[in-house]
Amino acid sequence: MKHIWYTLCGLALCVLIQGCAFSRGTLGDDIKSELIATIQKGSTTKSEVVNLLGAPDRLVQLNGRDVFQYYRYDAKAGSLLLIILNFTRLSIKSDDLFIILNRDGIVEDVISSKRTNDLRFQFWPFD
Amino acid sequence: MRSLISRIVPVLVGVFVCLAMQGCNVVRVSLNTTLGPKDVAFIIPGKTTMAEVVAKLGTPDSIGDADVGMVATYRFLDVKYSRVNFGWLAKPWTPVDPDLIFSRTGLGIDAFQVFCDAEWVVVQQGFQRHLTRPPFYPYPFQQSRVSPDGELPPALGLAIMSSHESGNHRSLTALSER
Repeated sequence: MKHIWYTLCGLALCVLIQGCAFSRGTLGDDIKSELIATIQKGSTTKSEVVNLLGAPDRLVQLNGRDVFQYYRYDAKAGSLLLIILNFTRLSIKSDDLFIILNRDGIVEDVISSKRTNDLRFQFWPFD
Repeated sequence: MRSLISRIVPVLVGVFVCLAMQGCNVVRVSLNTTLGPKDVAFIIPGKTTMAEVVAKLGTPDSIGDADVGMVATYRFLDVKYSRVNFGWLAKPWTPVDPDLIFSRTGLGIDAFQVFCDAEWVVVQQGFQRHLTRPPFYPYPFQQSRVSPDGELPPALGLAIMSSHESGNHRSLTALSER
């Protein structure tokens, strides 16, 4: 009797795994925390920032000051394709880094956070 | 005869349910974490700084120029899609492949904006659309939910104008004056 149960459970597991799909997509380069840590407020210059991180993804003017924006998007999709029902969930999060430069081209402020660290593959769409 | 019917009926019901569910799809797409009024309740205009907002909500998706100083925007999206194909019910009895599809998509697009002065102190904050979270509901003929009177904040006080890169102007009602 036990063998039958094990076989049934194995078959059920095989059927479930067969209907699974995982997908992932990213946009932009990873913004490394150690590089951000080297940027010093009041001393790092605009050219040093560009040398460290490359050209910004977006350049914004803020009351006469330049704001460099760097971003990276991460998307994780999980699908559970059962025989009678399909569930799909796609989660997208971004890491953003803003570097605010004063009129002399010196870093005035750095705003950054990593949201992609807690991004998980999920199937269940109802939570 | 009665016992035979009582055995067959549950089997038939089960077959119908399984066939109907076979055409079911439930999809959800989310961009960033959805923010609600409770998440931003800690922001007190005139007191809270942008650094405190960033510490709790993370970095904004964009920073722009505004008349009062700057505006930070947190964008988020919560799309819910559900679909049922009732054509599957007829599949065992027809030679063709019939479809009778009911599907509905709820686009929960919203943004939270924080206006700061030159000292990076929050002066105003508010949601752009005040959307309720769309449910998974494939029936497409029901009217979308209309906000009852009093649910949306009344237009009190002066509106702050902010310039966007597109050249458009968007106003934000002074929510803090409610």
